[in-house]
Amino acid sequence: MSRRSARWVYRTLLRLFPPSFLAKRGSEMERMFSELRETWQVERSGTVLGFWLRVVVDVLRGSMAEWLSLVSARTESATAVARSEPMSDFLADVRYAWRQVVRRPLYAGLIFLLMSVGIAGNTAMFRIFDGLFLRPLPFTDADLLMDLDETAPAWELEYVGVAYPDFVEWRRSNRTFASMAVYSESGANFGGEGPSERITVVQSSHDLAQVLGIEPVLGRFYTAEEDVPDGPDVALLTEGFWAERFAREPEVLGRSISLNGRAFEIVGVLPPEARFVSEAQVWVPLQENPEQGSGWYLTGLGRLTPEATIEQALADLTSVHRGMIETRSVNETTSPVISPLRDRYLGEFRLGSGLLLAAVGIVLLIACANIAGLMLARSLTRAPEMSVRRALGAPRSRLVRQLLTESALLALLGAAAGSGLGMWGSGALVVAMRDRFPAWVTFDLDLRFLGFILGLTAGATLVFGLTPALRSARDTALATGGRATASIARRRGLGLLVAGEVALALVLLVVGGLSALDVWRLGRVDPGFQVEGTTGFALALPAARYPDADARLAFQDTYLEKLRATPGVESATLATILPLSGHMGYFFVVEGDPPPAEGEPNPVVLNRAVSPGYFQTMGVQLLAGRVFDDFDGRDDGDDVIIVNETFARTRLGGAESALGRRVAVGTGMPDSDEAWITVIGVTRDVRHYGVDEPMRPGVYQPLRQLPRATFQVALRFAGSDADAVSTARRVTSELDPELPLYSVRTMSEAMDRSLWTRRATSWLIGTFSAVALLLAVAGLYGVISYSVGQRSREISVRMAVGAQHGQVMAQVVRQGMTLVAAGAGVGVLASMAVGGLVAGILVDVSPREPVVYLGVIGVLFGVAALANYLPARRAARLDPTVALREE
Amino acid sequence: MIPSPLKPQWFQILLALAAQPLHGYAIQRAVLAQTDDQMRLWPAMLYRSLGTLEDEGLIETVPTPAEEPTDERRLYYALTDAGRDRLRQETELLARWVRAAEAELL
Repeated sequence: MSRRSARWVYRTLLRLFPPSFLAKRGSEMERMFSELRETWQVERSGTVLGFWLRVVVDVLRGSMAEWLSLVSARTESATAVARSEPMSDFLADVRYAWRQVVRRPLYAGLIFLLMSVGIAGNTAMFRIFDGLFLRPLPFTDADLLMDLDETAPAWELEYVGVAYPDFVEWRRSNRTFASMAVYSESGANFGGEGPSERITVVQSSHDLAQVLGIEPVLGRFYTAEEDVPDGPDVALLTEGFWAERFAREPEVLGRSISLNGRAFEIVGVLPPEARFVSEAQVWVPLQENPEQGSGWYLTGLGRLTPEATIEQALADLTSVHRGMIETRSVNETTSPVISPLRDRYLGEFRLGSGLLLAAVGIVLLIACANIAGLMLARSLTRAPEMSVRRALGAPRSRLVRQLLTESALLALLGAAAGSGLGMWGSGALVVAMRDRFPAWVTFDLDLRFLGFILGLTAGATLVFGLTPALRSARDTALATGGRATASIARRRGLGLLVAGEVALALVLLVVGGLSALDVWRLGRVDPGFQVEGTTGFALALPAARYPDADARLAFQDTYLEKLRATPGVESATLATILPLSGHMGYFFVVEGDPPPAEGEPNPVVLNRAVSPGYFQTMGVQLLAGRVFDDFDGRDDGDDVIIVNETFARTRLGGAESALGRRVAVGTGMPDSDEAWITVIGVTRDVRHYGVDEPMRPGVYQPLRQLPRATFQVALRFAGSDADAVSTARRVTSELDPELPLYSVRTMSEAMDRSLWTRRATSWLIGTFSAVALLLAVAGLYGVISYSVGQRSREISVRMAVGAQHGQVMAQVVRQGMTLVAAGAGVGVLASMAVGGLVAGILVDVSPREPVVYLGVIGVLFGVAALANYLPARRAARLDPTVALREE
Repeated sequence: MIPSPLKPQWFQILLALAAQPLHGYAIQRAVLAQTDDQMRLWPAMLYRSLGTLEDEGLIETVPTPAEEPTDERRLYYALTDAGRDRLRQETELLARWVRAAEAELL
């Protein structure tokens, strides 16, 4: 653990002290802690764990003692009481507390259970949150690393990627970055002996290692001289690939590997941290030409100078970017964006995981309120004991301390069990999440985590332990041994607790309900294509063996024919991009439209090239016109295109009037000479980016018109998915044994994957809100039962003078439901207030969806009525004579 | 007025400050040295003790001594006159007890 994070943990622990104490001594203690830690390390006085244990015990004891002295200074008179040795007192308290626990197993068990439930959820969620947002990135001064990108609102794209000419100018003219680099990821067929394998390759500018601050573990990084157009073919291996394929032999340097049929010389091996950039196996120089407008396809990475802020850097880059407009007019539309690395890659998860953390926090709070209620009720039954001890001269602080020890003991036991449970539960979650986050995100345990659990437990103990303890110690003087009636104030206190629990539970239920409804609706959205039973995978034809369009077309024709003739294959089709698997954007102009005005939105269009039969295989519905046939896209015919509903509506005045119009790729600049393509059909929109994302304008062209080397295959197969894949592999290798299949998945998998995060979040929030409801209702039940017990004499008297069963029951139920109604009222208001926050995780549901509110209130009142009915029935069945005779 | 005898850690802190004013970490080191590594004061314990001793007027905070090489400002603690008197009394008390114990045992 770094010096800074250790200090952070300590600072967090110190929050346990009263603020007044902290203000005076906190910073001195922190500094001393740092010095102690260094000495401990230098002198090797003991293990790290031993050090932290002592530190934590010191803080826990010190903070508790400090709170108590504050409390006793307030409640005790000024007469000095001789203090006995705290340590032996403490042990005595623990022994006494343990005896109490053993004597009252039900009470202790309840607290233990509540505490474990509360801590378990927090443990699990904090582990996730910690891994995603708190753990430092594995680079020196990682705070200075920024993701660089370009944005183009007029194209309706948040991030378009960095164009190389922009980057070159940014790097040359900026004054706020220490260094800057760009890279892109692509696939390559890696060949050696045997069938080739699809691997991922990073193409980066020569300064990427410098920006990250990493050194090759072997050899060297490529140089600026090598990162030029037509430079030498050199490559670095990533550490994992080196270990897996080359058994970590140092002799790999100078050897050559084959990528897409080209030989690259290995010049170095990257350190493990390089996987932060990409999971790629090989890195090669980008070798891009700044003189060519190469499109926006690069990812930028910059290291700020320590003095620069993000705002300054953005202003700096923006002015450089604008300065290029004269020679590069498109920079009027694009502008640079800078975001801290973590925000860029994990920002979308921040809200969801934050909400989950808040949800488990609420569950813990409700559990604490229940424990406090239990303790309040219990303090009444212990009033005689307390008054006796007080009368015998025990100082009030001693009684408070003893009660606190009892709470702390139970809390610690519960927390230990709870964190174990939480670890176990989050383990499953972590496994499920592994491949959904960048590889550098890990969920290992660390000291931050230990600090969190300890701090949470101590905090919870103070929350539920201190109030009853103080109250109990104060009340004792009033209680006279024997029969005591709960004071009105105490019952009101219990009522407030329960109403608060109900309010909190309702907020959680609303959030859970909204999110569940949202996911349910998303699951029922028609994606516009056939999901079930469709398998997809990708192929890339290496340029060495398929040098031109004719070769590729020939392969594609034969391949499709062969696939379709294979037993089991119901239908097969090719496409550059299948749904849910990427984006390729072009700009289109419509014949006859005026050139776009400056700043006028020009949304980028999703462009796909597909083989005939695509629409039948994928189940995409045709709205007007016709689909492609085998003749479309041949050299002797007109170029044709099919547009989607959104394109037809926004650019061509609807489906019917779209047919026969002509469009062309281009931005509509006055001097351009467009190659016009005729619209022959309009199809329904397909949820190409996932059912939770809006669709943009999109078009299809015949694959023959745009023969690509990289394409995807969709297969409908009579049989299992595994059989579909093995059949496809066999057919492929019969045609070209060196061609690897990659990105293999079924459409249902792709769909599930696109919704996984939402589903998981929804399930978790739903579970937590159910637990919250259960706890709140249990609290309600407890308080009403307790109150009935306390008032049995009053009820008996009333029944003796003629009150009916129904009246008694009604009174008890009314009392309980008043609490519920009050809590629900507050909860509804609170839910409305947090609605704006929750809106961020919802797609198809308004945060004020009345159905959810009504449903939640209905469930709450139903369950609460049951919790009230049981004690009410007991009250009505009281035998007046028995209760009165007890007096 | 804190009753006698002083708690061991209080006594050791006063003793550590007898020679010169020290800051918190230095007090910890001094106490460790003068107790043959037997008493290791952790921050919360130390600073709570310092608080009590300060409230009782036995020690006071003083500015950073000029000869210290550090350019950081930090709190130094020094014995007050009352603190010095008290340390003397306590030492005499302990000495008396030790003498009594020795007379008994030897």
